[in-house]
Amino acid sequence: MKRLWLTAALGGVLILGTVAFVGGQGEQDAGAAAPATTVEAASQPIQFPHNTHAGQFQIDCQYCHFSAERSVDAGIPPVESCMGCHRVVPGRNNPEEVAKVVEHYNAGTPIPWRRIYKVSDHVRFPHLRHVNAGVDCQTCHGQVQEMGVLETVAPEARDLKMGWCISCHVEQNASRDCTVCHY
Amino acid sequence: MSDGLKRRDFLKVLGVSGAGASIAGCSTQEVERLIPYVVPPEDITPGVATWYASVCQECSAGCGIRVRTREGRAVMIEGNPEHPVSAGGVCSRGVSALQSLYDPDRVATPMRMGQSGLEGTTWDEAMQALVGGLQGAANPLFITGILGPTEELLVNQFVAALGGRRVVFDPLYDTALREATRIAFGVDALPHYDLANSGLVVSFGADFLETWGSPVAMGRQFAHMHGVDHGEKGRFVFLGSRLSLTGQNADEWIPIPPGSEAAVALGMAAHLVQAGADAGPYADLLSAHSAESAAQAAGTEATAIAALANDLASVPSIVLGPGLAGSHRGAAAANLAVLVLNAVAGNVGQTVRIQQTQTPTGGGFGSLLEAIRSMSGGSHGAVVVAGTNPAYAAPAGAGFAEAFQSVGFKVAFASALDETSAMADLVLPASHPLESWTDSMPRPGVYAVGQPAMRPVPHSDSRPMADVLLQAGAQLGQDYGGATSFRDFLSQANAAWLAANGARVGLTGDPAARWRELLRTGAVSYDDPPPEVSSLQPSATALSFDSPAVDGAGDLTLLVYPSSRFGDGTQANRPWLQELPDPVSKLMWHSWVEIHPDTAESLGLRTGDVVRLTTDHGEVEAPAWVYPGIRPDVVAIAMGGGHTAYGRFANGNGVNPMVLLPPVQDDASGAMALVSTRATLTPTGAWRRVATTEGSSDQDQRNIAPAVALAALGHAAEEEAGHHEQLQELQEIGGFKPSETEGRAEDYPLPGAEYGDYTRDQPRWAMSIDLDKCTGCSACVTACQAENNVPWVGENQILMGRDMHWMRIERYYEAVDATHAGTVDIRFLPMLCQHCNNAPCEPVCPVFAAYHTPDGLNGQAYNRCVGTRYCANNCPYKVRVFNWYSYTDLIPEPMTWQFNPDVTVRENGVMEKCSFCVQRIRDAGNRASVEGRDIRDGEVRPACQNSCPTGAIVFGNVRDTSSAVAGLVGDERTYRVLDELINTQPAVHYMKKVTHHEVDSGEH
Repeated sequence: MKRLWLTAALGGVLILGTVAFVGGQGEQDAGAAAPATTVEAASQPIQFPHNTHAGQFQIDCQYCHFSAERSVDAGIPPVESCMGCHRVVPGRNNPEEVAKVVEHYNAGTPIPWRRIYKVSDHVRFPHLRHVNAGVDCQTCHGQVQEMGVLETVAPEARDLKMGWCISCHVEQNASRDCTVCHY
Repeated sequence: MSDGLKRRDFLKVLGVSGAGASIAGCSTQEVERLIPYVVPPEDITPGVATWYASVCQECSAGCGIRVRTREGRAVMIEGNPEHPVSAGGVCSRGVSALQSLYDPDRVATPMRMGQSGLEGTTWDEAMQALVGGLQGAANPLFITGILGPTEELLVNQFVAALGGRRVVFDPLYDTALREATRIAFGVDALPHYDLANSGLVVSFGADFLETWGSPVAMGRQFAHMHGVDHGEKGRFVFLGSRLSLTGQNADEWIPIPPGSEAAVALGMAAHLVQAGADAGPYADLLSAHSAESAAQAAGTEATAIAALANDLASVPSIVLGPGLAGSHRGAAAANLAVLVLNAVAGNVGQTVRIQQTQTPTGGGFGSLLEAIRSMSGGSHGAVVVAGTNPAYAAPAGAGFAEAFQSVGFKVAFASALDETSAMADLVLPASHPLESWTDSMPRPGVYAVGQPAMRPVPHSDSRPMADVLLQAGAQLGQDYGGATSFRDFLSQANAAWLAANGARVGLTGDPAARWRELLRTGAVSYDDPPPEVSSLQPSATALSFDSPAVDGAGDLTLLVYPSSRFGDGTQANRPWLQELPDPVSKLMWHSWVEIHPDTAESLGLRTGDVVRLTTDHGEVEAPAWVYPGIRPDVVAIAMGGGHTAYGRFANGNGVNPMVLLPPVQDDASGAMALVSTRATLTPTGAWRRVATTEGSSDQDQRNIAPAVALAALGHAAEEEAGHHEQLQELQEIGGFKPSETEGRAEDYPLPGAEYGDYTRDQPRWAMSIDLDKCTGCSACVTACQAENNVPWVGENQILMGRDMHWMRIERYYEAVDATHAGTVDIRFLPMLCQHCNNAPCEPVCPVFAAYHTPDGLNGQAYNRCVGTRYCANNCPYKVRVFNWYSYTDLIPEPMTWQFNPDVTVRENGVMEKCSFCVQRIRDAGNRASVEGRDIRDGEVRPACQNSCPTGAIVFGNVRDTSSAVAGLVGDERTYRVLDELINTQPAVHYMKKVTHHEVDSGEH
């Protein structure tokens, strides 16, 4: 009985804590809070094969995710970066997908990529610190170079829960202080 | 917002949060879009801030600022340390420019007056209307504020080509001083003051730390002059009828009646002439004056006046004033008297520099009055108003609104629809200074360029006024050397200057390289000013130095003063400033009427009693605020309140005192007379709770802000021996064991650090705040709010004590007497989280949200906090604030764009507090780690430190014995608030204020 109470109390605490912290940016919350259910919304606007780029052609991750080494954000490649190659490379396997890139570039519209990885708003994950410490991108993002469609694969990585971060920080003897990630 | 949170909104917020909660933990299922750039801008790295040097345009001082942008949005304004005038400081008004940039009430599109009022239109049509309206108009009139030199050049050319006239109206520009300088020295410019190198400053009511002159630069110089760093401490004497924030920083106060400045200044000068000083052409004038006559005018003893005059002559000194708040019918004469006193005391050419330089067109109230007459007379076919709001800021009796209304074609360049632009036939949305180009010459030898920090906010289809004029000029057949944008015009205009002065200011290389370097530094300067004029010239016009007429019925003289938060009201539509406790009264959101305790007693009034303030010209109602720092025969009220049209945060808050004033000017200079009428106070019988965060103005012997007498410096450490005696006593009767440390470098690691993950080889972040340098200006409070996404809560929530400020300035009266000349001792103490080593908040948190970090911070993990508020209850410093509602959810677009992306936006139910700007510590840590080094001393500068004009705040690692903060912690003046009582071991070390007078031992 006592155990049940404890569980209930702890659950309550957790829920309260979450309610307090979900979202941060006012009206934007309403949009972000709408859960995605349809397949259409969940698919990428362009079928970008990471396995072709990072696997077959061995393009370095940071060639496209250009700021991972020097910024908290890894950087999503500008459409211009895609065009650097695709101005001359038509895309043997999926020319119609490459055509969409060209279309976006010519129209001057960004590609609205679907976000796969997201830590909560109250978490700071500085890419630069991890990349410079020699952590491979694959440690968190999985074997991206083998993925045709990017998905989170490591089951423990799927939710990007804190325990998963901490287990690595313990292993690597990195800081476990709260304000290293939460401020 | 001022209505607080409605229940319906509360439920909505709850609903949204609930929906959020249900999906939290499965964030990867959420569809969120990542929008990349199509073509990346060269100077933007996502996640890394880009800084732009620019010029602040909140007043005409021209301070240098650095605007921090993230992904193309301006998120923070800090001082530019490379700027020769402001040297890294900034004020609350400067920081809050962000809120006018993202003002939700900005004009969205050009507007034309239609059947049912102003209606939106397109720029094409608006330009057509502008050009068409100006083309045929007879004698078009331009009414503007003070402009930057090149923009002024452009506007003047444009007006001249149209055959029109330009009038400048800026109530905060000291027209009277400029006219007096012209009379006394034949130079049409404002004097430049070198406070830093003077030993005695005497101010006749000039509020040089808040609204007069160049407050940031003068604040820094004042702190140097008045500080003890260089071995001696200067003195500051204030002569005026009300202690402004500037007055509160004085060492002595002679509460002279309003209008007596000229008599007192001339009396002091006469005393020096009798002792052999040379007054040149003013000797005859001075022969009619003496220390005795001055003493009579000031209501004090002649010996005091004579002594002060002697001091002025014996050390490098400066006399300032009478400034704007004391401006009356004889303002130019009073300014002239002060300049004569400066000359007689030998200051001119030394600390007071008179120099002909490029100066913006001044023009006070007189030229506006003339324009009002000519508008009413139908002499103008068109009127263009830009950067000024005479319908609000001029005395209502001047009749600006009626005259303006009678003009056939009225154009307003406006960011938001204010009282003036709301009447216009054509409203053109003007770009914000942070979106436009400008330049400035704040003093001889300094040239600064202001560049846009971001693209125009898309919520407002705005264009810079200068660009619109260039475009209109082209359509009207005017020639601007081919310049099609103001940026071109600006670079053409200063190319010659750069070519001539480039080497002198250290700008070499080709013109493009010089230009880039100028934009990078924001300002250049040379130390080789041209020869100065320093001999007095006879006055060509006969001025009366008698006490000026104050008319009207009533027994109190009305004093209307510029607000240190809103200026003349221009900055009123900014919630940060509305909720910033006024540095003097600590009141916010509403207006108040300042009265002396004796006056209050005779009328049976207390603070909060609503009074009716009546003059022959109008009346206002506002709560009384009883203030010992004002003469009993004076009643004062600040400008800036009571807007009827400006925006949601300004409208209806407070009252506009300009309705009380007659349209009177100083005839010699055209300066607006703010001290010109008497007033009657009538209690209305109503009472309201005043919106304040002040707890007490009395220290009650708690020694929170102690001081040390200058004479006692050098042996203050001895007095402090036995610091923890009281704690030792407690231990003997079964209390806990107190720590013996003083928080100095050698004290670390602290006893107990061997347990857990505590401070061992990590830094110990700490702060030193020099109370001798703190002027209470509150720039840090606004900077903190901007940096840390601290929301404002509105007047109703303030009344419930729910303010959210992470930082506040305590203000304690020790010695204030408005009835006699004497010592002033008012202490300011910036209070923020003390990051205690023994933090009382930490052990009471049931969920370990408040805890100690290895680097010594008192951490607050928001996502752990469940809102018990035990920590706030246990905090002896009252620095923890609770987020009762999701105040940030109520912030309208696009103000949310200002949010610092490096700091979590907190929701309701969470306790929050100063984090020592941990985001900046982590950012520096990241960079240092990547570069394989430790964080350097001075690399982490919290927002409060970076805004402080006087350099009172120093932050760093106290364990590093070579750090600046470790050095200050060992200073004999350093103490920690309440530490000896409760053994909290704070990381914030205060340095006692140093007074010229003896300090009561009970108060230290």
